[in-house]
Amino acid sequence: MKFHWFAEATYPHLPDDFPQKGLSSWVSTPPALMDPVKVGETYRMFIRLMQQADRDGFDGLAVNEHHQTPFAMTPSPNLLAASLASTTENAAILIIGDSLALYNPPTRVAEEMAYLDCVSGGRVIAGFVFGTPMDSVFAYGNPPPELRDRFHEARKLILRAWEAKEPFAFNGKYTQLRYVNCWPRPIQARPPIWVPGSGSLETWDLVIDEDYCYGHLSFSGLHSAKPMVDAYWEYVAARGGDMNPHRMAFTQLICCAATDAEAEAKYYEAVRYFYRMNTLDPKFTMAPGYTTIRSQQAMAARMQGAPNLRPEDRIRAAKGEMSFWEYDEKGYIIAGTPRRVRQRVRELATDLHIGQLIGCLHMGNLAEETAAENTHLFGTQVIPHLRDLWADQPDHWTPPISQQRIAARAQAALEAAE
Amino acid sequence: MIQGRMRVGDFDVRAWSGGSGPPLVYLHGFEQHPGDAPYLRRLAETHHVLAPEHPGFGASAGFDRLTDLQDLILYYRALIESWNQGPVDLIGHCLGGMFAAELAILAPTLVRRLILVDPYGLWLEDEPLPDPFLLGPPALAAVKWRDPAHAARETSAFDPDQGDTAAEFRTMNLTAASKFMWPIPDRGLARRLPYLTTPTLVIHGAADGLTPPSYQRAWAAALPNARTALIDEAGHLPMVEAEDAFIGLVETFLE
Repeated sequence: MKFHWFAEATYPHLPDDFPQKGLSSWVSTPPALMDPVKVGETYRMFIRLMQQADRDGFDGLAVNEHHQTPFAMTPSPNLLAASLASTTENAAILIIGDSLALYNPPTRVAEEMAYLDCVSGGRVIAGFVFGTPMDSVFAYGNPPPELRDRFHEARKLILRAWEAKEPFAFNGKYTQLRYVNCWPRPIQARPPIWVPGSGSLETWDLVIDEDYCYGHLSFSGLHSAKPMVDAYWEYVAARGGDMNPHRMAFTQLICCAATDAEAEAKYYEAVRYFYRMNTLDPKFTMAPGYTTIRSQQAMAARMQGAPNLRPEDRIRAAKGEMSFWEYDEKGYIIAGTPRRVRQRVRELATDLHIGQLIGCLHMGNLAEETAAENTHLFGTQVIPHLRDLWADQPDHWTPPISQQRIAARAQAALEAAE
Repeated sequence: MIQGRMRVGDFDVRAWSGGSGPPLVYLHGFEQHPGDAPYLRRLAETHHVLAPEHPGFGASAGFDRLTDLQDLILYYRALIESWNQGPVDLIGHCLGGMFAAELAILAPTLVRRLILVDPYGLWLEDEPLPDPFLLGPPALAAVKWRDPAHAARETSAFDPDQGDTAAEFRTMNLTAASKFMWPIPDRGLARRLPYLTTPTLVIHGAADGLTPPSYQRAWAAALPNARTALIDEAGHLPMVEAEDAFIGLVETFLE
């Protein structure tokens, strides 16, 4: 089992009454609400925390791409990745991922990921994403029915740019380049590829056909995800795909502390901030043609069965109306002492059959000090106790160099302890 | 009006046709084909009317065959040629107005007279149009109708026997429309309008909030020889809200 450090780079200074203002936290959020100086402080905090995560034994440092939102101020994950590639040693640089349709020409992704792989010594995981409707079709203006087509054309161009022995001409529908010749090339001939999705059948087919790692990147936890993740694995099995749990990543908010009471005291406000400030206007979540009708029908059928999470629970969670332990009970967060967190992560990973956990160790407006403690407790008192999970199955979806270095460090720590 | 199918190249579309007289083609807007609409029947009293449903909309095939506006306009040129009625009078409403203007530019000998009704296709920097894809039902009704109570008069080509739900029908239509309207319904028509030589009438509903009558000035400036008309009692669908006034303007212009 692998553990990756992640946080949405959330703007932590929205006014407390922001949710009552009727504004969307995506696409159209008034820029007057942001202080760029504080944004810079926030970025530097995330860089410090991820550098610490590298020292504390995490397998990967995850960075993502979103646009026009205080929820996640990471317009290019490659920028944050660049800060980490040259200042960390062991963990994979998990770019999850570049929104392929938004790079023009997409060879930019091939070049920048290659740069990052070179600087990091071969530690890049190449995540390719479609981007949410908010990002790809509203903020970046792609006609929704073109998005998948653009993504696949870009994906093929990038893979070919990494592998071609000679410069080549690329005559695509959206990109025409007479001379493609990627300098630099990645150290890993082809970095591991991850593709996150939200349940579209077309994405499932892609990751099965290409043997990519699939990511279910929700922030609603086990009960919310269970019907979809189960349906995904059934689909993989039915299509004869690889059932290796390392082929699936899942996000989970983590709140570790010395005692359960301390966890509640330190994290409750930040958890509430994370959920209640994300006042995404539903009209930006759907665009005609973004999801095919075939996938819409499949998703609607799955929606029927989330037995342990009622629709009213989802609303209360989004409004910050749950108690801390209710968030925990419903699966939105996994909180408490390292012993308790360990046990619940084990249950989660076993239940969902996942081998890559993307832990959100910072959320909302959490204090840096608490996030640092969270990172340290999880890295040193949770991860080492869960290494037995799926240990019998090979992991082809994280960089070999990171696997070797982290295993060597764990061994050294064990010997030092003896 | 009789519903049928027309095939051009390797796919076919649904179309309504009827009446007799000079040939007239009607191109519908971004939301849906109106089906066997009262105003199409009125036009069919004096014309031989053909009203195709755009490729990718409703029961028309061809969504994957057309990428951009040029593909679509060439398709419509072939479709009207295959109808074999000679030059036609062409009415385009809303998104269909953008298509009709492009078609008259591309195939001037195929279009005798051109009527654009609350057309998309132009974009004014100082007066950005509302985003039709973002408007929920109440907000859409508010900008679309002079009187939202008139919404009940609007007809639709939606047919549950085709196997889709009404929501799927709408999604399909808006998906197809997004190829020509997302994120901004301007595919460069303004650059080509100087080549439009067909006698043209531009009609706007005075209460249209989607393609407001102020855009009529831009159309008039780009087409100095065009006639313009304003229908006071209508919003974005004058043929629905003020059918008599609409038919009167059309018949007078086409006489």
